[in-house]
Amino acid sequence: MVTASISLRDVGRTFGATRALAGVDLDLKPGVTGLLGPNGAGKTTLLRLLATALPPTQGKVRVLGLDPEVPAERTGIRRQLGYQPQEVGFPRGFTAFAFVDYIALLKEWTQPAARHAEVRRVLGLVGLSDLGAKRIRAMSGGQRRRISLAQALLGSPPVLILDEPTTGVDPEQRVTLRTVLAELARTSIVVLSTHQTEDVAALCERVIVLDRGRVRYDGPVTDLTGQAAGRVWLADEPDPAAKVSWRTGTGRYRNVGGRVRDGVEHVEPSLEDAYLLLRGGAPEPETAGEVAS
Amino acid sequence: MTSWHLDDDALRRYVERIDSLAEGASAEQHLLSCEPCRARVGAAASVIEFSVIDFAAVWDRTRDAVEVPRPSVFERLLRGAGLPAQEARLVAVASAFRGVWLVGVAAVLAFAALAAALGHARGVWLFLSVAPVVPCLVVASSYDPWMDPALEPELVTPYPMLRLILLRTIAVLALALPAVLLFGLVVPGETAFAWLLPAVGFVAVVLAASTWVSPLRSAIAVSSVWLAVVWLLAARSGSPDAVLQGRAQAGFLALAAASFSIFLLRRRRLRQLRPWR
Repeated sequence: MVTASISLRDVGRTFGATRALAGVDLDLKPGVTGLLGPNGAGKTTLLRLLATALPPTQGKVRVLGLDPEVPAERTGIRRQLGYQPQEVGFPRGFTAFAFVDYIALLKEWTQPAARHAEVRRVLGLVGLSDLGAKRIRAMSGGQRRRISLAQALLGSPPVLILDEPTTGVDPEQRVTLRTVLAELARTSIVVLSTHQTEDVAALCERVIVLDRGRVRYDGPVTDLTGQAAGRVWLADEPDPAAKVSWRTGTGRYRNVGGRVRDGVEHVEPSLEDAYLLLRGGAPEPETAGEVAS
Repeated sequence: MTSWHLDDDALRRYVERIDSLAEGASAEQHLLSCEPCRARVGAAASVIEFSVIDFAAVWDRTRDAVEVPRPSVFERLLRGAGLPAQEARLVAVASAFRGVWLVGVAAVLAFAALAAALGHARGVWLFLSVAPVVPCLVVASSYDPWMDPALEPELVTPYPMLRLILLRTIAVLALALPAVLLFGLVVPGETAFAWLLPAVGFVAVVLAASTWVSPLRSAIAVSSVWLAVVWLLAARSGSPDAVLQGRAQAGFLALAAASFSIFLLRRRRLRQLRPWR
């Protein structure tokens, strides 16, 4: 059996004088891969490249062995691709069912009965079975987000590219979506970007951290979290030795990084701790020359 | 306890719900007070082969009736014109073909036609100013990212974007033809038909320009240039002859052919369409 894969070699993308991605080398196999990074890191640009919505200005991309630069092969990729953009607008007056049905038509689901059944299936996966006939305009932000995810799930594609799929989605639904994506990832390549480190920790076996268009970390989530072992502790006051500190709900301060002192109360590090350590502590201000991701 | 009982045929008709409303009400009233007949209902019902009823199919049909959107008038027109149902839907979905837009466009054209029908030279100029640019504005709106908020997921489907754009363009022009006939009844002389070739030319220019810039921006630019030219001609000659004469019409035809060729040559650049917002 041939394993589905995506490969990127020295991939870069610029917008005018602005560099959004540079020198990215990646190999992706079935499973869930999480993309983390600050705003402007290039996450959305990378996902758009993988989704054939944008060509690279440098390097080679291969999706399932196909070259997106060749029109016929690009169409071949799109037949096996589900993509949820960061922002999806919906045509005026559309219901949830009508929108997903419309995208299904564009995805070559020409037989009405099969198409309607598939639309109902994906709406059911995202918990919107009973809201198919409701107008999207009357729905909440989280429900709209789930509609945009539903259209990406059409046909259980071998490649699923999701840009912040859980933004605005309530905790219960996030757990449901994690289950759906984990099930799909048994056979499909799922790549998702998010600012929710708990989603990555709960769902992804691999994490890629992007910063200013470059890959800062690529490896198992557990390895990244392990890098913060012994470098997270609780104290009654912010510790000057820490790179970052914040007051927790218990009233104590969580300190991350810096010198480890004796006599402090070490705690289990989270992925967020490890991410902050990797980023060097407090978030940096956005600089000119970065593109919004 | 009553002294009579439902006969077998009446009971069967009640269970199978093929009796009349009055018969059904009567049977139901009797069953409420007759234990022996109630016991026979179960036996009669068991002989009906429920297995022959495909409940899943019935449920799907019920959901279809509730959830599947009904085709719009425009979509039905496209189907009537021979376009396959699925492609009629893809064309009709464009915001440009929504009722409000169509009413607005028709109102603008009707206003211009009315002005022309008054017989005043300025009315004719007004018609010539408005009519040729309306189709290119509608075409641009039918696939502009600003007007088509779902463009990003549309772009990465296997359906060819070029085909979608051309289908929507053809639909716009197909709408324009009846408008020619309609407004030709009230606009004096050749003016009613003189706008057709400029309109086709402008649509082609917008298609070609949208391989570089936003379709709506290019349509606005084309419209602005056309308005400037018309008003300049009106100020100089006071007659629409310059637009109506054969050489000018041939020029618009050449413009359409050249622009469409550029569009086809650069069609792959359409895949880089993205929201400019």
